[in-house]
Amino acid sequence: MSSPPSTLSRRRPSGLPSAPSGLSKSVEIQEARTSKEPWLTSEERDVLVLSTVMKVVLFPAYHSTDFEVHRNWLAITHSLPISKWYFDTTSEWTLDYPPFFAYFEYLLSWPAALIDPGITTLNNLGYAAWSCVAYQRWTVIISELVMAAALLRFVRSSSDPSLQRVISASLFLHPGFIIVDHIHFQYNGFMYGILLWSILAARNGQLLKSGILFAVLLNFKHIYMYIAPAYFVYLLRAYCFNPRGSFLIQNFIKLGASVAGIFAVSLGPFLAMGQIPQLLSRLFPFTRGLNHAYWAANAWALVTAADRVLLQCKSMQLVRLTLFPTLLIGAKLRGTSLTINTSGVESTSRGLVGDTHFAILPNIEPRHTFIVTILFQLIFLAKLWRKPDYKSFVHALTLCGYCSFMFGWHVHEKAVLLILVPLSLLAADDYAHYRTFVMASLAGIVGLFPLLFTPAEWFIKVGYSAIWFAVVLPGLARRCPRPTPTWIGEIVHRLEGLYIYGFVALQLAVTAFTAVLAWKSPDPGAPPEIPLNLTTSGNLLEATTSSPLQRSSLSQMEFLPLMMTSVYCAVGITWAFLRLSWLYIKSS
Amino acid sequence: MREREERFTSPARNWVRWMQRIGAGDRVTYVTLGSAALVRWMVALGGYSGQADAPMHGDYEAQRHWMELTLHLPPTKWYFYDLPYWGLDYPPITAYVSWVCGWIGSQINKDWFALEKSRGYESDSSRVFMRATVLALDLAIYVPCIVLFCRRWFAYRSRRTQELATITLLLQPALILIDHGHFQYNNVMLGLSLYAILCFREGKDLLGAAAFVCSMTFKQMALYYAPAVFGYLLGKCFWLGWREGRTLFLGLAVVSTLTLLSTLIPFLPPFAPFPETLLQVVHRIFPVARGLFEDKVSNFWCASDPIIHWRRRLSNEMLVRFSGIGTVGAAALPMLHLLRVSWGAGGRQQRNVASPALRLLPWAMFNSAMAFFLFSFQVHEKSILLPLMPLTLLLGDRGSEADDGDDTWEWGVLVNNMGVLTMWPLLSKDGQALNYFVLPLFWNYLIGYNPLRLSSGWFLRFLTLVCAVPCTYAMTHADPVQSSYTLIAILHIMEATVPPPQRYPDLWVVARVAVGCGVFGLAWLWGLRKQLEVGWGIGTFHAAPAPPRLQSKTK
Repeated sequence: MSSPPSTLSRRRPSGLPSAPSGLSKSVEIQEARTSKEPWLTSEERDVLVLSTVMKVVLFPAYHSTDFEVHRNWLAITHSLPISKWYFDTTSEWTLDYPPFFAYFEYLLSWPAALIDPGITTLNNLGYAAWSCVAYQRWTVIISELVMAAALLRFVRSSSDPSLQRVISASLFLHPGFIIVDHIHFQYNGFMYGILLWSILAARNGQLLKSGILFAVLLNFKHIYMYIAPAYFVYLLRAYCFNPRGSFLIQNFIKLGASVAGIFAVSLGPFLAMGQIPQLLSRLFPFTRGLNHAYWAANAWALVTAADRVLLQCKSMQLVRLTLFPTLLIGAKLRGTSLTINTSGVESTSRGLVGDTHFAILPNIEPRHTFIVTILFQLIFLAKLWRKPDYKSFVHALTLCGYCSFMFGWHVHEKAVLLILVPLSLLAADDYAHYRTFVMASLAGIVGLFPLLFTPAEWFIKVGYSAIWFAVVLPGLARRCPRPTPTWIGEIVHRLEGLYIYGFVALQLAVTAFTAVLAWKSPDPGAPPEIPLNLTTSGNLLEATTSSPLQRSSLSQMEFLPLMMTSVYCAVGITWAFLRLSWLYIKSS
Repeated sequence: MREREERFTSPARNWVRWMQRIGAGDRVTYVTLGSAALVRWMVALGGYSGQADAPMHGDYEAQRHWMELTLHLPPTKWYFYDLPYWGLDYPPITAYVSWVCGWIGSQINKDWFALEKSRGYESDSSRVFMRATVLALDLAIYVPCIVLFCRRWFAYRSRRTQELATITLLLQPALILIDHGHFQYNNVMLGLSLYAILCFREGKDLLGAAAFVCSMTFKQMALYYAPAVFGYLLGKCFWLGWREGRTLFLGLAVVSTLTLLSTLIPFLPPFAPFPETLLQVVHRIFPVARGLFEDKVSNFWCASDPIIHWRRRLSNEMLVRFSGIGTVGAAALPMLHLLRVSWGAGGRQQRNVASPALRLLPWAMFNSAMAFFLFSFQVHEKSILLPLMPLTLLLGDRGSEADDGDDTWEWGVLVNNMGVLTMWPLLSKDGQALNYFVLPLFWNYLIGYNPLRLSSGWFLRFLTLVCAVPCTYAMTHADPVQSSYTLIAILHIMEATVPPPQRYPDLWVVARVAVGCGVFGLAWLWGLRKQLEVGWGIGTFHAAPAPPRLQSKTK
C-alpha cells in the first residue's frame, strides 16, 4: 500500500511555476504534505482548502452502514490474525474486498486503536462515537490526497494547464465523491486516485507503470474489473506489440511478471494458507439479483420499468376480463394474459434484494448480462486494438466501464463514478464530448441522490450539485464552442435541453412525493423512539441486504420516487452511452 | 496599481475574477447565494443549544416551545404561560413569527408542537423543520438585504468589489454559528435593521423607521442601535431645516408610534385587560431582575468583576443604575456626534435624499451597539453580533480610495474573529466545536486575511494601547494582533490540557473574557475615533452639494 505515494513523489516534473512562498502555513497544506506538493499554485491551494473545509464540516452528516462496514474491517484486521480475516462472521458486514484493501484497513487500524480502542474492538458492533466518526472521516479525506496528487500531475504535464486545472478541480470537488465518500462513506476518492494515476502513466507513455498501478487497484477493489478489458487490450497492443504488429516478448514478460508479482503480494499469504476459495466466495457472492435495492440507472432499469408498465396494462386488462365473464372465453386470454409470471408479480415489491423476476418480459439471467456486456465491450476493444493511442484508450476505458454499468448484473448506482471519472478527462475535447459529459454527469449524479434519503441531506446533495454544475460547466464550455449544427443536430440539441430542464421537474416531483409520503406516515421520531429511528435509517438502502421497502406498508409507494429517478436518469445515461459510442466509433 | 491588486488579493477575489473571465460573471451572485445557503445548512447539521439535554434543554427548545404556546394559546396568555419553563420573553413579532412557524409545522406533523406533550421533542424530521425555518427566514430577510446593501452602498465600486463584499458579508461566521448552529433568529432582527439603513439611503425615512421599529419588536436587542438610528433621523430633521424638518419629525413620530402600536394590538384594550397584559409584556421583555450578567461575557462588568467584585459591593438596584448611566453616556456619544454633523452639513436639503450623515450611520451603529455590549445590563455573549453587523458592512469597502492606508478592514476582521472566539464556551457546549474552528478559519482564508502578514502603520499606535492588556505575553510580543490570537490559542490549549487551579475554577474562561474585553474596548475607542474622522470628512465636503457618488446608479 505504501508504494503509491512514494512513486508518486519520485517522478515529479521539475521547473514548474512555484507558488508564492510563505503561504504554506495553513493547516490544509500540512496535510497535503503527504502528497509532497511544494509547487501548489494559489488556485490549487484554494481548491484544496475549500474541499477540505467542506468535507470536515460534513463530519456530522448522515453516514450509511458502509461506515460500520469499514469500522468492522478495522476491527477485524486489527484484532484477528490474517488467517481469520476472510472467515470472521462476528458482524454481518464481513470483509469482502480484496487483500490490498484489507492491508490498507490494517494500516489504518493502528492509529485508530491509539485514538480510541473502541474503534478496533471486534464485538463493538455499531460503534459510532464522535472519535470514531472523526477518525474514519479523516482517513477518507487524507487518503483522497492520492487523487489530489494524481490530478495535480495531470495539470503539470498538460499542454493546456488552465483547462486541465478546471477538469482536475471539478473531479476533486465532484459531487459524486462528496455524496458517496464524504456523506455515505466509502474510500472511492483514494482508489480513483490510483486509477487516475494509472491513466496518467499511460498518457506519459509509461505503460508498464500504468499496468502495475492498475493491478494494484484491482487488488484494492475488484469492481475495477469492469474496465480491465480495456487495460488488457491496450497494454497488449501498445506495450507487447510494436506498431508494425510484431510481438515484443520481453515487454510481455516484464508486464506479466510485474502483474503476477502484484497479485502474489496481494493473494500470496492467502494462497499459502489455502484460503483462496474462501476469499473468492467472499469477493464474488453470486446470490444477488439483477437490480440492486435501488435500481442503478442502467439499461435494466429501463427494461424492468417497461415490464412494470406492461404488467399494469395487463392487469388492467385482466380486471376488465373478469368484469365481463363472457369475454373470458375469448382468444385474447389464452394468447396473452396467462403468460404473466406470478413470481414476477410478487417481485413487484421491486427492489428487494434477491432475484428480480419479470412478469411479462423474459427473465434475465447472469449469463445474459454477461454476454451482452462482453459483446458491447468487444466493439470498443476492437476499435482500441486498431487505434491504440492515449485518447482512444481513455475512450475505450470509459466505454468498458459504461458497458458494465449499463448491462452488468447487480450493478450499484455508485459504479457510475466508473464512467464519470474517466469521462471528465475527455469532457473538453470538443463540443460533442462536452455535451456527452453534461448529459452523463447530470444523469449520473442525480442517479446518486437516492443514496442519501435523510431529509437533512436533501439540500446538501441538491444544492451542492447545482453549484458544482453552475461553476464547472462554463469553465469547460468556453473551450469547446458549438459548431454550426445540422437541422437534425439542432433537434437533438433541443430535446437534450428539454431533458436537462426536466431534472428540475424530476427533483420537484420526487421531493414532493417523498414529502407527502413522510407526511402520511407516522413520524418515528418522538423522543422515546429516537433509537428506533436511528437503527432503521442505518439499515436503509444498503449495498447488501436491506432496502427502504422493509420499513413500512407504504413500501410500494415509497419505491415510486426511486423508480422515477432511476428511470429518468437511465434515459440520460443510455443516451450519453450512445453518443459516446458513436463519437468513439466514428473517430479516426 | 498592480501593487494594490496584490495587496487586496484573496481566494474569493480570484474566484470572482475567474468567473468573470470565463464569461460566467452573471452567475457569481447566484453561486454566492447558493453557497451561503449551503454553508448555513452544513453548519445546521451540527449540534444546537440544549440538544438532548433534558429537562430544560436550551435556546432551540425555547424557540420550539414558543411555537407550541403561541399556536395553542390566545395572545393574551402568551406572556403569562408557565414562565419558569422558557416563558416567552421576546417582543410580539417574535411571537407572531413563532405562531406562523408553529402553524406550518403542525400542518406537517401535529406532534411537533402539541401543547405540553411536545416538550423536548427533537426527532430528526422536526429538527430539520426547525433548522429550515431559520434558513428560510434568513434567505427571506437577511440575505436579500445584504445583497441589496452591497449593490447600493457600494454602487460607485466595481461589480467585482460588490460581489466580493457580498461573499464577505454573507459568510460572516459569527452570525452563521449562532443562528444556524446555536439556534436563534438574530438574522431577522439584523435583516430588518439593515433594511432600515437601506431605506434611509434611498431617502425613505418613514419606511426605514417602521422597519427599525419592527426590528426592535422582533428582538429587543435592536435597541442597541436605537441611539444611532435616532441620531440619524433627528439629525436629518435638523438638516432639512425648520419647515421640512418639522414635517419629517412629526411623520416619523406618527409612523413609529403606529408601527409599535400595531404590533401590540392583541395586548391592547379591546382584546386584553389593559394595563396588566401590556405591563407583563414589558416586564418580560426587559427583565431587570436577572442580574448584572450571566455566564461569562467579554464586557466591562464581567471582565472587571474578578478584581472589583461588583455584585458583592453593590446592590442589584445600584448596579442597574450604574450600568444604565454608563450605557447611556457611552451610547450618547455617537448619537450626539451624528446630530452635530447633520446640523453642520450642507447639501441638497431634500426629504427624499439621504442626509450626508448617512455615511456615519454604520459607524454610529457600531459605536452605540458596542457601548451597550460593554456597559449595559444583562448582556449575552451572543450580543456581540449587534456591534459586528455594522462593522462587517464596512468590510465590503476594502480597497477603495477612501480606504487606502486605512485600517477599517483589518479592525473589522479582528473584531469579527474575536467575537467568534469569545463564543467558544457557548459553541463548544452546543456541539459546534468543529464549526467553531473550521468556519472562521475558512472565512479568513477566503477573504485573504492573514494576521501574520498584515502591514500598516496603525500597528505601532495600537501597540502602545494593547500594552494595557494585562498579560506579559502581549508585552513581550511585538505584534498586538498576533498576540491576541496567540493568547486565544494558548488559552485553547491550556483549557484542553491543564486543569485550572482549584481556587479559580474559571481561570481560563476569565482570561478569555479579559482578552475579548480588551479587544472590544479598544475597538470601541477606535470606532469613536473613526466616526469623528469620517465626520470631519463630511463636514469638509458637504458645505457644497452632495457629490455624485452618493447618488445611486439606480436612480
